[in-house]
Amino acid sequence: MARIQLENITKRFDDVVAVKDLNLEVDDGEFIVVVGPSGCGKSTTLRMISGLESVSEGTIRIGGVDVTGQEPSDRGIAMVFQNYALYPHMSAKRNMTFGMKSAGSFTDEEIEERAMSAAEILDITDLLGRKPGALSGGERQRVALGRAICRDPQVFLMDEPLSNLDAKLRVQMRAELAKLHDELGTTTVYVTHDQTEAMTLGDRVVVLDGGQLQQVDSPQRLYDFPENRFVAEFIGDPAMNMIAVDVADGIASHPAFSIPLPDGDSLSVGSAVLGIRPEDLYLADEREATSPETFEATVSVTEPLGDSLLLHGQIEGHEFKIQAQPRRTITPGDTVELGYDPDRLHLFDRDTGEAIYHSDPTASIAPSGVTQ
Amino acid sequence: MIVLDHCQKTHVVFTVVEGYIEETQARYTTQMSEQSAREVFTNNKEAALLLLPTLFVIVMFLYWPAIDTFRLSFFQTTLTSERFAGTYNYIRLFTSGSYQNSLFVTFGFGLVVVGGTMLLSLFISFMLYEVDRFTSIYLITAIWPYALPPAVAGLVLLFLLQPDLGILTYWIRSIGSIFGMDLGLDWRTSGPMAFVVVSITAIWKQLGYNIIFMVAAMNNIPNTIDEAAQLDGISRSNRLFKIYVPLMSPTLVFLIVINTIYAFFATFPIIDLMTSGGPGGATNILIYKLFIDAFENFNLGYAAAQSLVLFLIVGVLMYIQLRVTDRYAHYG
Repeated sequence: MARIQLENITKRFDDVVAVKDLNLEVDDGEFIVVVGPSGCGKSTTLRMISGLESVSEGTIRIGGVDVTGQEPSDRGIAMVFQNYALYPHMSAKRNMTFGMKSAGSFTDEEIEERAMSAAEILDITDLLGRKPGALSGGERQRVALGRAICRDPQVFLMDEPLSNLDAKLRVQMRAELAKLHDELGTTTVYVTHDQTEAMTLGDRVVVLDGGQLQQVDSPQRLYDFPENRFVAEFIGDPAMNMIAVDVADGIASHPAFSIPLPDGDSLSVGSAVLGIRPEDLYLADEREATSPETFEATVSVTEPLGDSLLLHGQIEGHEFKIQAQPRRTITPGDTVELGYDPDRLHLFDRDTGEAIYHSDPTASIAPSGVTQ
Repeated sequence: MIVLDHCQKTHVVFTVVEGYIEETQARYTTQMSEQSAREVFTNNKEAALLLLPTLFVIVMFLYWPAIDTFRLSFFQTTLTSERFAGTYNYIRLFTSGSYQNSLFVTFGFGLVVVGGTMLLSLFISFMLYEVDRFTSIYLITAIWPYALPPAVAGLVLLFLLQPDLGILTYWIRSIGSIFGMDLGLDWRTSGPMAFVVVSITAIWKQLGYNIIFMVAAMNNIPNTIDEAAQLDGISRSNRLFKIYVPLMSPTLVFLIVINTIYAFFATFPIIDLMTSGGPGGATNILIYKLFIDAFENFNLGYAAAQSLVLFLIVGVLMYIQLRVTDRYAHYG
């Protein structure tokens, strides 16, 4: 178990900057998830920590030791790959023990003991004699995890380990990974493009875009207080609605509506972008007490999701998504009256995308520099 | 009774006609597709006629010579006559000292050439696989000898290794003289040395072919397996022999078979050019010996018997190789 410190990490591939000046500290025993769209540099970051990719600039420390130039095998890490990367010609058990046997610094009993205890944790003792070809995807990923556990590393690195599994198995393995981390308490860096995985697994979540750090925070704070437009739109599905407004004297106005910003009396920033999540919008007739203002929208598409009804509404040519109660009979073309949750409004700078304002009353713990 | 008005009647008629047209079309299309699928020719004779040239070539130049070789091996022949001799040729073969020597030389040569080619190509391929700069230049350099016909390869090395004037022999002698050794290096008179020189030439010639296949096989191994091995801290030699070789094994099996055939048959021009089987039969491999017996001594019957034995030897070897390697090869 160890702290990981990334100090001013930059990675260049010829002219392309994959990761730019990244600073990150992962606490001892923490489960940190790195999330971002394809090509955001999340896998590159993980590979730099593992040593499989060299670092163009900056320093990586694991447990206080500078490992920047060290071989992957000397860093005290174990990695789990998306495609499992098991040796196809070796049995599950040999896959788990091959590295230790080659290292030569373990006795046979020690190796046997570690393999068996890892197999028990992962419930794969029956599969140890089989080759990867005779295992299902989920079983293979367990063996790959077993190989990582066997090494008893300071740090687990996981590169989209669940992406090759089917949806149901993914949910099951996700829960098991969380349980495994509770049991072992090993520092884990987990890369994924799936924000559900990121939110459910991470103690903290790192959002990357274009090789740059966007925000590091606990999942709920990331959701409630996104520091910029990218994070606001990336986290949450369906994505946050964004609409250009003018803000003067604490009122966000748009040709179709004007919304007073709670506790935002002094706010006069001119043009800005208002963000409201689809689940913070509702049909005015669904609730007794509605928001101070309501406004009308024309429904263009309805998507029944089972647990809710997702409406695509048009307001003055802007598309809005609204998560309404399920089992409503609303058809495209209908006009609906919308209310909103006044505690869940977000304002972003129109040019830089930085968050200006979050209306949450608990925003006293909001990130510094952001007005409540 | 249902009375149809004019309009309805016309409609019904049209529907019937339309249906008929569709049906005919469908039938016609199926006929067409069936025809193109299996009945290209209206009768079998036409097909047989078109097959005839190919069959003629195969029979004339493959089956008939093979059968005639079998027949000839039981005859004593001179240039103009043949006489049935029963198993005489075979008895003569297995009691002949020079044939036994040739057998011994051939197996030695086969072992050295197949083993040497495989091992050297494996190392070179691994290096080519691991290097990230100038890869294609290295690859072309390594594969180049394969582009030469065996006779040319033989000639090139004949010049390079010529005992008195060859560049390589000159360098080897110079290096030897640093350590105070006077290396004669006259492999034209030394049997073991000639064997070594011919083996080197044969291996060098075959490297390129092996490297192409081995590099391709290595590139087929998923990158992440290599990365997993790096994380596991597996040494390079362990990585090569414990991970790469097993995963490449289907290719390696194929190459062993090809190299064996090469060593037993295709090295003929090299031997012919460089040593003519000498000195003292040290490089007189079976294929060369049977050529001499057939076309210089004109003892076709004797050569036919040798040919048949050689065929059986290589056949059995192939069978053993495939059986043994089948047990170890990993086919994914």
